[in-house]
Amino acid sequence: MNKLRFYFFHLMPYPHIPPTAEFPSSWVSLSNKHYDPQRGRLLYNEYIDQLVAAEKHGFDGVGVNEHHANFYGTMPSPNIIAAMLVQRTSHIPIGVIGNAIPLHGNPLRVAEEIAMLDVISGGRIISGFVRGIGCEYFNNGVTPADSVERFDEAHDLIIKAWTDDGPFTWQGDHFYVPNVNIIPKPIQQPHPPIWIPGQGSLETLQFIARHHYTYMMVFSPLWFTKMAFDGLREECHRLGYDAPKSMFNACVPTYVAETDEQAHREAKAHLSWVFNTGLKIPDQLFFPPGYMSTKSFRNFVGLLKKGRVKPQSQLSYDELIKDRYIIVGSPETVKNQLGEYCDQVGAGGILAVGSSYGPMPNWMVMKNMQIFAEEVMPEFREADGKPDHLRLEPPAPSTRSEFSARFGQPPEAARSIVTGGGNELVAHRLAHLPEIIDKTFGQVERDERPASAG
Amino acid sequence: MSYIDVVDKVDVPKPARFYTPPAFETVAGLPIAYRRQGQGEAVVLLHGAGFTRMWIPLYQMMAEKTDFITPEQPGFGETPLPKWFRTFDDLTQLYDQLFDQLGLDRIHLIGFSMGGWAAAEFASFYPRRLKSLALITPVGLRLPDNPGVDIFQLPAAELFDRLFMDKSVMMEFLPDAEDFEEGIHLYSEFAAAARLMWAPRYNLALERRLQRVQCPTLVVGAEEDRLVPNQMSDRYAEVLPNSRLVRIPGTGHEPCLERPRLLADALLGLIEEAK
Repeated sequence: MNKLRFYFFHLMPYPHIPPTAEFPSSWVSLSNKHYDPQRGRLLYNEYIDQLVAAEKHGFDGVGVNEHHANFYGTMPSPNIIAAMLVQRTSHIPIGVIGNAIPLHGNPLRVAEEIAMLDVISGGRIISGFVRGIGCEYFNNGVTPADSVERFDEAHDLIIKAWTDDGPFTWQGDHFYVPNVNIIPKPIQQPHPPIWIPGQGSLETLQFIARHHYTYMMVFSPLWFTKMAFDGLREECHRLGYDAPKSMFNACVPTYVAETDEQAHREAKAHLSWVFNTGLKIPDQLFFPPGYMSTKSFRNFVGLLKKGRVKPQSQLSYDELIKDRYIIVGSPETVKNQLGEYCDQVGAGGILAVGSSYGPMPNWMVMKNMQIFAEEVMPEFREADGKPDHLRLEPPAPSTRSEFSARFGQPPEAARSIVTGGGNELVAHRLAHLPEIIDKTFGQVERDERPASAG
Repeated sequence: MSYIDVVDKVDVPKPARFYTPPAFETVAGLPIAYRRQGQGEAVVLLHGAGFTRMWIPLYQMMAEKTDFITPEQPGFGETPLPKWFRTFDDLTQLYDQLFDQLGLDRIHLIGFSMGGWAAAEFASFYPRRLKSLALITPVGLRLPDNPGVDIFQLPAAELFDRLFMDKSVMMEFLPDAEDFEEGIHLYSEFAAAARLMWAPRYNLALERRLQRVQCPTLVVGAEEDRLVPNQMSDRYAEVLPNSRLVRIPGTGHEPCLERPRLLADALLGLIEEAK
């Protein structure tokens, strides 16, 4: 096992919007008239190429996620991007972290799409579930006051749809489905690994501990991540188990260049954009009514009041560095700070390292990715330098011959009674052979009748 | 979910001005806070999504001439929010039972803003219970060409600016931004409002159902409402069979707070006519 896993994470921003001072929010209300689809096409394809390149650079996984009506992350359907990555990569795990399950009318759509991706990719999907950030409820007909309940119920429904044989009836408070019977079901058993991104609320930590899921802390200062991770460890203890390190992932944008000075010079404007422009969200949009329980809201507003946390749009670059929202520097600096970070919080994986940030040009993203892969990753790897997944048996065979050796013929190999051919079952695999098809239908004869005009 | 959850009372902050302790009546396991004062015709007022827990001057004026009752709806003021409470239908049934338990028979019903919607819903199900109906800057109908502003999206300062035409009254009722507990409480009241009104912000059945309401009805509009379009009160007046529309000069969305005397006189006039 390597000391640390690294995930290339993409938000797919659309950065060509007016300067921050000219709008109150880059979410919900900043008009989509600023989105130019021609430019969007170039960006999407560049971003997809970057994600694909992460496999060859040796990352432990790639990640995409769902956001709506904003310019910070233009992936309203992350499953579509994941589908493209499935086809353009061969072994890297692909995280959809996550689908915003309470926002959708039918959670089974997510169960089906993730199952499709998992089957087609040969079991490479990590399935994240999120509630969607508060402001996403403003662009949607779902009341934020139902968010927590719908999340819980959609989660239960999806897991049951993946793991129980159908059909079964779902009689929920929010969803009713007379016959749940999704086809396909996922390859990974009992289901793809579940990651839950969060901001450290007690409800989320308890949910993760209860289900033994993997936690993913979103952009936060180190002290806050530590507090949340400690909280999760405590919740797991309370339930009678020690949380393994692999349960803890943090998102820490990391930019590496030849020297500390050069790294700051290159990254500063772009990383600042992510927080100051991309996440410019006024409070009343961030916390729509009922999105948080009154108890969680009280805790969070308490922290804001005490000045312990600041809205992300107001963080200076120096604060981002000082509080370890981000890590920027030479390979030596980044190695040291990443090592310290993970020791302090007890993380098993870091997301958004060596990745793309805001309006950062493609060449700079590729430079960051290459230096990170060559000069930072090996420090945290075993001597072979491989990501863990390449040392493990893949969840599905990678060749047809391997498949046949392991699985042989299906127990219910396709066979049917062919209309007009009597009552004998014909095995389709051999149905074209004369001893089968001719026996059933008689010799193939030349049809002497004139061709019908109709 | 059980058939009836018994819900405990909740601790809520008390506004510095106009606060009076409520009485409680337990309906379906839920302790409903209400204030009641005065003698005469039974008059019930359903509040809007804010300014709860207070005995404001309008209420005092009404109580001087009537048996005036103002309950707090689930999740507002001192009435807790039970898990099962989700729709205006739930609210309508709660109120019907509450009125029975308070010994009220036929009443004059007044609703303001969100409470205007609630009063319209109640009237459409229990029209025979009403002697008169008054809707003050109500919400709840669809205005196809003018959905209005998204109230849940407004920063507090803009919300208050839009609520009041009379800024001196606004300054009197502006909550203290430094009051932590009051801020938390207002968030929880908005959460209760979101359950009822986030989507959609109208009931399409209401226009049809309101045809049953034959009692004298007064629709009170603002001079210029910058929160809910003036067309909303126009539309209610069009739809309600036995109604007339008045607009109170000098008011925005808050006639109850901005011009209590003018409003009280209009309401008492209706009650006098319909008693």
